Amino acid sequence: MTVPSFTLFERLYRYFSARRRLLFGATLLVIALSLFATSRLRIQEDIVAMLPDDSSSVAEDFRLMQLAPFTKKLVITLKGGEAEDTEALIAAADALAQELRSADIGLVTTGPADLDGSFFSWLGAVLPSLSTNDDLALLADASTPAQVQSRLRDGYEQLLSPAGWALKGKIQSDPLSFSDLALEKLRFLNLIPNMRLVRNHFVSADGRSALLMVDSSVSMTDSAGSRVLLDRIDAAVAAAVPAGMNATVVSGHRYTLVNAETIKRDLYVVLTLSIVAVFAIYLFFLRSMSAIFVFLVPSAILAIASGAMALWVPQLFAVTLGFGGVLLGIVDEYAMMIYFSCRQGGRDPAVITGEVSRPVLFGAMATLLSFGVMLLSSLPGQRQLAVYSMTGIVAALIVSLVVLPHLIKPAPEGRLPLAGLMRNWRLPRRAVLGVWLVLLALCAWQATKIRFNGDLRAVSMVTPELQEAEDELVRTWGDMRGKALLFAEGKDLEAALALNDRLFNRISGLIPAGELVSLAPLLPSAALQRENGERWLNFWQQGRAARLDQDLAREGQAYGFSKAAFAPFLSTLGDAPPAATIEGLRRAGMGELADSLIVQSPGVVRVLTLVPDTPELVAVLSEDLKDLPGVRLVSQSRFGDNVGRAIIHDFTRYLGLTSVLVLGLLVIVFRNPARILLVLVPVVTGMVCMLGIMGMLGLEFNIFNIAASILIIGLCVDYGIFMVCRLTEGTDHVANRSVLVSGLTTLAGLGALALARHPSMHSIGITVLLGIGTGIPAALLVIPALCNKGMVDNVDDVDGMEPKK
Amino acid sequence: MTRFIIITALLLFAAGPVAASGVPASPALFEALEKTAGGVRTLSSDFVQEKHLSMFKTVMSSKGRFYFSKPDLLRWEMTAPVASGFVLKGDKGRRWHERTGRTENFLISQEPVMKLVSEQLFAWAKADFAWLRKEYRIAVLGESPVALRLEPRSAATAGFLNHLLIAFSADGRYVRSVELHEKDGDFTRIRFVNTMVNKQLPADLF
Repeated sequence: MTVPSFTLFERLYRYFSARRRLLFGATLLVIALSLFATSRLRIQEDIVAMLPDDSSSVAEDFRLMQLAPFTKKLVITLKGGEAEDTEALIAAADALAQELRSADIGLVTTGPADLDGSFFSWLGAVLPSLSTNDDLALLADASTPAQVQSRLRDGYEQLLSPAGWALKGKIQSDPLSFSDLALEKLRFLNLIPNMRLVRNHFVSADGRSALLMVDSSVSMTDSAGSRVLLDRIDAAVAAAVPAGMNATVVSGHRYTLVNAETIKRDLYVVLTLSIVAVFAIYLFFLRSMSAIFVFLVPSAILAIASGAMALWVPQLFAVTLGFGGVLLGIVDEYAMMIYFSCRQGGRDPAVITGEVSRPVLFGAMATLLSFGVMLLSSLPGQRQLAVYSMTGIVAALIVSLVVLPHLIKPAPEGRLPLAGLMRNWRLPRRAVLGVWLVLLALCAWQATKIRFNGDLRAVSMVTPELQEAEDELVRTWGDMRGKALLFAEGKDLEAALALNDRLFNRISGLIPAGELVSLAPLLPSAALQRENGERWLNFWQQGRAARLDQDLAREGQAYGFSKAAFAPFLSTLGDAPPAATIEGLRRAGMGELADSLIVQSPGVVRVLTLVPDTPELVAVLSEDLKDLPGVRLVSQSRFGDNVGRAIIHDFTRYLGLTSVLVLGLLVIVFRNPARILLVLVPVVTGMVCMLGIMGMLGLEFNIFNIAASILIIGLCVDYGIFMVCRLTEGTDHVANRSVLVSGLTTLAGLGALALARHPSMHSIGITVLLGIGTGIPAALLVIPALCNKGMVDNVDDVDGMEPKK
Repeated sequence: MTRFIIITALLLFAAGPVAASGVPASPALFEALEKTAGGVRTLSSDFVQEKHLSMFKTVMSSKGRFYFSKPDLLRWEMTAPVASGFVLKGDKGRRWHERTGRTENFLISQEPVMKLVSEQLFAWAKADFAWLRKEYRIAVLGESPVALRLEPRSAATAGFLNHLLIAFSADGRYVRSVELHEKDGDFTRIRFVNTMVNKQLPADLF
């Protein structure tokens, strides 16, 4: 029979036959330039690669989460010995802070800005502007004649004590302790739940730990920068922390570093194993010097694809580069098909190239379609991966079909290694089909048990030490990093504060003061402050101020207070009160706190409120705050679920679309339902068995399993195309051999990832191992077993099967 | 001649403040005081406190007892007009008030005002000039007996305290009187009388 072929590649072969030096030179030049471009590539190990960058709520939530007070900070807990020695702890914290500052790692904080008297003076002065209706009721109770008498006696006795000289100003300006009301409002600003201030240092409730915070300019996703940063911190700890104390660092940098180092270790182990295994497979099946070129084609493709990316983007996501291994697995089968066809020889190499180009191009088109759909993804990492893979596949096609045929010499007498074994390998077709159907049914049943886990943390490396440090941080300081965030958004500060007032009114009844962090009690909107101020003046002008003046004079006389003793206090009851402003807060030493909770960007101001991130509260707030436009709830725990859902949705859409497009391609190419179904046998088998076995073993299906499914589809469809082309169009036995050898190299190369410690690489390895491991036998055994005379022209020549009766 | 008069006048004006605030203290004087006070293990004394505060019509007077035992035990006990006081033991403290009948323990590190008070009291009782020189600029007003004027170095303390005047006993072993002068002109004077040095103190005092 006549084997269909693409004459373009036949003509190209003939053209370059006389110009091989030019061809090889140009190829080497492209590879060299690509390597040069690749060397300039910068790797971005960023979770951003796996987060949608569209206008979806997940993308917006991620952007907002970066604004949380502790997200970008390094938190260092300095723990003292068993005995509580706060002085020694503070001294050690100061020494460590000094050492860290000398190491130039960023802004180091051991406590709030110096809260001297100016803060309490400011608080006392603005109290009228902060007082609500309920507050005024409390003040009415605190200014009865009996209270006045009691407070003045307390004040008098305090003034007699040695501490009196430090309290004089306070007693004079606030004899009835109205500031207690203001201090109550400070309870809503406790960002660190289990913290108390000792000499302006953050000290734990049990007095055994001190807290240092570092604002570093090193990005949390920069692994090299994180290494330098953490090394400097370790050196500072070694130099400054005395024996008997220890320091623990918790920050995103540590997660980045642990993950990057685990991946590096894994790659070393996996690549070593893969190279040895792949080389052994080549030795066993290829046994020729020209096999070296087959080995070099995928490597050259990696360089070309990476070099092309370097021209396109300044930074390549690490996940994209990591997928390079997958690309290797895909493109080596094209080279393998060319190799075996050319080695078998017996005809004009140009004709062979033309013939073999057809299944290779069909397979490549199916794979290109699969990756092309990924361009529609909302995940930047996926889109980049699509471009990377498609570039690699196109390059692989060109190198395999144009360059490689010139490098492979036919084997003597066309005899390929293990030819006898391949020809005489026969299995009873009924048994093959029976086993296949039983396996398929069993796996389809078990696949229903598989559980999806969309949480990004499930594919992140968290060492026991890191987990312990995180747990210790929560035990010592409370859950300071795990709060849910509520953003009140306005076009300017006043609008944002006004919305924040409404938000606080809505939620303050639901959450205890110690667990709710809000600026609203201390910095209401100007409009609300005016309202409060007017209410304050009205309250005192109803004769209360005059009565209080008389009571203070009468009761004060008994203790010797002068008539003017409380004039500063009495003036606050009748004068228009000053407003609390963000500038005032800063001057009073609360600037850092205010800046943590007010995020100003051009055209938009967001005021942040923190609440406990419990599923119950988040559910209640999500419902309650629906009618408060401009308020946005960002729950860190819910975010993980949302990202997972978004990714799963993205991939599901992708898988569906890919299936439709690949099916469409098969319909166009094969135009025969039976043949199309045959092509799909390996991919269906691979996918069902992979899901079924994972379900059977109780393995969860995560986002990397989904990503690796792309590879199974791409490869298994290729296997199907190669096998069906061979069986129906007579491209001889090379397809069997190509499928078997490229499948084995893929298993060796990518299946080795199953040995990796990093969850993401391990997941890819498991998926490939199960999917390809079952897809290859399906291609080699089940497709021939399912062929019948009406479908194929040379069925009697089916390898691995008994002839049909 | 005119020029001579101007220079003389400038010199006289320049000399005036120096004379009023004393001359800078020499390290030798501190060493001598520290050496003398170094032999003090315990102190017990009566005190009389006078507060000259503008918010009171008259001077507020009170009296009581003061005890100190090296290295870090201190008792400040007011007997009139209100019986109250406190005991400091290292970082821990206990205060009581007879009228309310309340006694409570506290940690000095958690009470900024008591921290300030305890630092001052211990520094004078121990004659800890290393700490005092770190916190204050010290000038000598007289050498026999020693009288010092201290001005706070930190802006925070200077916000409410203008200066301190300290007078030592003739033998230099203990402080005879302390005056705290505030920014607004108010001041407090504490005189220590009947002071006994190195007398055995009952353990239950602290």
